[in-house]
Amino acid sequence: MPQSANLQLPDAHGYLNRVIGELRALKAPHKNTLVSVLEYLSDHIRLTRSEIGALKAGDGNSQMFSTTTDELEEIVTETARATNRIMDAAECVEKVAASLEAAQANALMDAVTNIYEASAFQDITGQRITKIVRALQSLEEKLASLTSAFGPLDDAPAPEKPEGDAALLNGPQLEKTAASQTDIDALFASLE
Amino acid sequence: MSLNKNMRVVIVDDYTTMLRILRNLLRQLEINNVEEANDGDTAYLLMQKNPPDLVISDWNMVPVTGLDLLRKVRADAKLKHIPFIMVTAESKTENVVAAKQAGVSNYIVKPFNADTLRAKIASVFPATV
Repeated sequence: MPQSANLQLPDAHGYLNRVIGELRALKAPHKNTLVSVLEYLSDHIRLTRSEIGALKAGDGNSQMFSTTTDELEEIVTETARATNRIMDAAECVEKVAASLEAAQANALMDAVTNIYEASAFQDITGQRITKIVRALQSLEEKLASLTSAFGPLDDAPAPEKPEGDAALLNGPQLEKTAASQTDIDALFASLE
Repeated sequence: MSLNKNMRVVIVDDYTTMLRILRNLLRQLEINNVEEANDGDTAYLLMQKNPPDLVISDWNMVPVTGLDLLRKVRADAKLKHIPFIMVTAESKTENVVAAKQAGVSNYIVKPFNADTLRAKIASVFPATV
């Protein structure tokens, strides 16, 4: 048995299969039970490697984590932008309220205060999303470590890719790769 | 019952939206002498240059958290007397206990409203209420 502490699963799997082969060649009684157990283990390792390989293989899966993280960070950016626009408007209302009679001014100021209070949702949701992003990054690191332990997986099945109309559903677009309305207009015009 | 409108307040949060909310709510309380910091280090530098009358800080910031900032403030002879209010989404008992042990003056859980902010500020300045 190899003594290396860094034994990779492919090495172990290969070793296990060699042991199975050697056991089959023996004329020992009761060997069939042991061979059956070891074959079961060998099949299980092969299936697991294949499933891990499916996670590892292909552009779609290798980019899954970074794309998901980008999408989540975009939510934080978009909600922050929207919240700031809402507060821009609320601050305008607050300035106008200062020029009104007390009763009207107070009513408007109460509404503006409500808007400020409600705007805190962006901070709360942002913190929650940041936690999810960190969890995804941690998961990505662990998965990379796991796939590394399984070694090269040439026999891994190709990931399923959407086809037809389903392949066209990639929105909403991320800001850093987004086409502007001008880009779209130009493209649209070029197609006429 | 009124707050000291001239007090100088340092508000600390890594979310600019929350800083803006705090600044606006403080303005409605007629507290306009407000300085902002996006993290604990910047806030501490601001305080060392010119000690404020009040600190309102988020907890969950990197690399210096609100709790780190609180401990630094309480360990600083020049700053340790300054009222420090934690405004945070961290609401577990152990959080509140840790903040209290570190010397926090009061604790506001997000999301909060203007009345809570006003009441907590008033509570750390009992003589002015």
